[in-house]
Amino acid sequence: MNKALRNPLVFILFVIPAMVLFIMFFIYPIFSSIYYSFTSWNGVSDTVKYAGLDNFKKALGDERFWVSVKNNGWFILFSVGVQVPLIVFFSLLIANVKKLKGLYKTAVFMPSIMSTAVIGILWGFIYEPNIGLFNKVLGLVGIEPVYWLSDERFAMLSILITNAWQWTGFYIVMVLAAILSIPGELDEAAAIDGATGFQRATRITLPLIVPIISVVIMLSIAGAMKAADIVIVMTKGGPAGSTEVMATYMIKYAITNFKYGYGNTIAVLIFMFTLVVTALYQLVFARRTERIEY
Amino acid sequence: MRKSLTLLLSLMFVTSALLTGCGDTKNNAANNKGEAAATNEAAATTAAATEEPVSAEPFEMTVRHTQVGADKQKRLAILEDVVGKVQADVPGLTFKLDGVDSDVNRKEKLRGEMAAGNPPEIFDLFGSPDSKIYAKEGKLLDLTPILDELGIKDKFSNLDPFTYEGKIYGLPIGGSGEGFFYNKEYYTGKGWKAPATFAELEQQLADIKADGKVPLAGASKAGWVPLMLANHLWSRYAGPDVTAKFATGEAKWNDPNVIKGLAKYKEWVDKGYFKKGELGFEYAEYTTQFTSGEAILMYDGTWKSSVFKAGQSGEGLIGKVGFFNIPPVDGGVGDQTALMRDVNNGYGFSASAGEDERKLAAVKSFIKNMFNEEMQLRGLVEDGVLPAMKVDQAVLNKNITDDLMSEIVAVLNSSQSSFPAFDSLVQADVTTEISNIQIQSLIGGQTTPEKMGDALQKIQEEANAAVE
Repeated sequence: MNKALRNPLVFILFVIPAMVLFIMFFIYPIFSSIYYSFTSWNGVSDTVKYAGLDNFKKALGDERFWVSVKNNGWFILFSVGVQVPLIVFFSLLIANVKKLKGLYKTAVFMPSIMSTAVIGILWGFIYEPNIGLFNKVLGLVGIEPVYWLSDERFAMLSILITNAWQWTGFYIVMVLAAILSIPGELDEAAAIDGATGFQRATRITLPLIVPIISVVIMLSIAGAMKAADIVIVMTKGGPAGSTEVMATYMIKYAITNFKYGYGNTIAVLIFMFTLVVTALYQLVFARRTERIEY
Repeated sequence: MRKSLTLLLSLMFVTSALLTGCGDTKNNAANNKGEAAATNEAAATTAAATEEPVSAEPFEMTVRHTQVGADKQKRLAILEDVVGKVQADVPGLTFKLDGVDSDVNRKEKLRGEMAAGNPPEIFDLFGSPDSKIYAKEGKLLDLTPILDELGIKDKFSNLDPFTYEGKIYGLPIGGSGEGFFYNKEYYTGKGWKAPATFAELEQQLADIKADGKVPLAGASKAGWVPLMLANHLWSRYAGPDVTAKFATGEAKWNDPNVIKGLAKYKEWVDKGYFKKGELGFEYAEYTTQFTSGEAILMYDGTWKSSVFKAGQSGEGLIGKVGFFNIPPVDGGVGDQTALMRDVNNGYGFSASAGEDERKLAAVKSFIKNMFNEEMQLRGLVEDGVLPAMKVDQAVLNKNITDDLMSEIVAVLNSSQSSFPAFDSLVQADVTTEISNIQIQSLIGGQTTPEKMGDALQKIQEEANAAVE
């Protein structure tokens, strides 16, 4: 056995199955997408015409594409600026409750196992202008009905709130696992030394869960860059394209119009933007917070 | 050594098993065919008992349909009857029915299959632009000789959406017309009748609004819904053939008469005739606004008549719904009775089906059994879908027992001409722009009819130039 493991050929043979799958389902699609992004292929034809950089020029010069890029930016900002602090706050609260912790965990996790289509319908009712929960509450304090999904000023915010509601619970459970894995002695020692609950949370727990928060931010950024389903079920990119994101732009302006070459260009651009944003985040923030030693 | 050899051999076995799994699909297909043939043998023996042994060899064909869901059961029953007849006609044939959601089939599944070169033999197909793109690539079976042979080429009211370079590549299963559904009970209560003039219609809209009701149902989350009415309005002002001229450059989106139509739509929005917040409502809510009595009028396609049947959501309005065409507008160009009508959805057949004699025979039998007066009448009576084929008026009258359908047919008969909806006439880029951006911007007040016309014309010119 030891002899066999010293033979590099054996290692190669072990790696081959995984490599085959990796190449088939990851490397090949990426390269095929890059190839088609330089063509004007209609998705049906047997002949593929080379289009050079035309598709890239068209996308980067299209005002609507930049609206969608900006909306992906809003997704990132909302995730990092609003969602992550809420995730940390609720995780700390749930970690410290004495009773019914399981119930709280299940309750916050529930939205993330629901289908986006169901969430779209559910929140469609909440945002309904006449009978929706939000407007009913606003009506109690004399505020006129807000047209959440049909008014350009509120449509994007409505989607961001719904998206945050859907995924917050998932990340809370992740952060909670990190909090609960912190050795209890640290907290107890601080309590004996007279630290208040707030001090223990901010001075002990929070610094120790920074790596998992960093992962949560990374996942939020990646999720924000590829967001599509929630936009489709909530607004279909409307009103008047104001909530379009890159993925819905790709479907609407390329795929449904028999422009697979252009669609692949957008896919490549999404891939590149995501790569740049996540790489930047890794370089600037994440590297500093990778290891924690107790 | 022995252990490592065993290890190596097992690894090679696993790898080769994996690679075999991902291997040549042709072999798989051949194997599957073999298996299918074996399983279908028993079924085929009964059907082909009287035929020559060679021609009775079992074979399978797939029919991709979109009759999924409770509201399409009647349409599915029609298809199943046709399939049964064709199987009895063609010895050895077994049909596999593959039901897929219409949008998924149109935008994903069929396109993928066309690209891979393995579409089903018979499939649900949209006329324009889909069938033309597939026909151009040689993916569709030319039906012209079959229609000639069956003698039904002239029986269809319009085959333009399925015609490419003079050849027919698909057949519409039914048609539709668009107009106003109105709440007859409300109208009778007010002592009104369906408006005969445009001024009368506008007066009614104003009176309904003053009465605290919603004059027109509105659900514009999907751009095509408000565009049905907007399309009819610009065609009233600028002529029924104006939309067809955009792609040829003979007419422009910013022509004054087209702008008049768009301005009229905007005027109705500004006067609050549509349900407020319409940009956030789905098409399903459009119907609900009308069936609940909240909205008094609803501009929609004749397919909506199936809602006002027993067991459907509009059951409470059976006998209380009427239908009328948009009345003539003052100074309008062309035929002022023209009705917006479409025959854009039907069946297409794969080019490869024509290469096999028996499959071709099955295709012919399918066309013969599906596209005839009996099935067209069943579609009309059972499913509320207007015939795509010419049916004698006396026969139609005899078969229609539904008041609403009689009214719809009367409207169709009183219109002297028809025109298709814009999306089957202009390029996909223009459709995307008007459906996703411009019409919603007009409703939301972010653009004016003039700016909308200019923006659309710019996209139209780019699309026209790309074709050239």
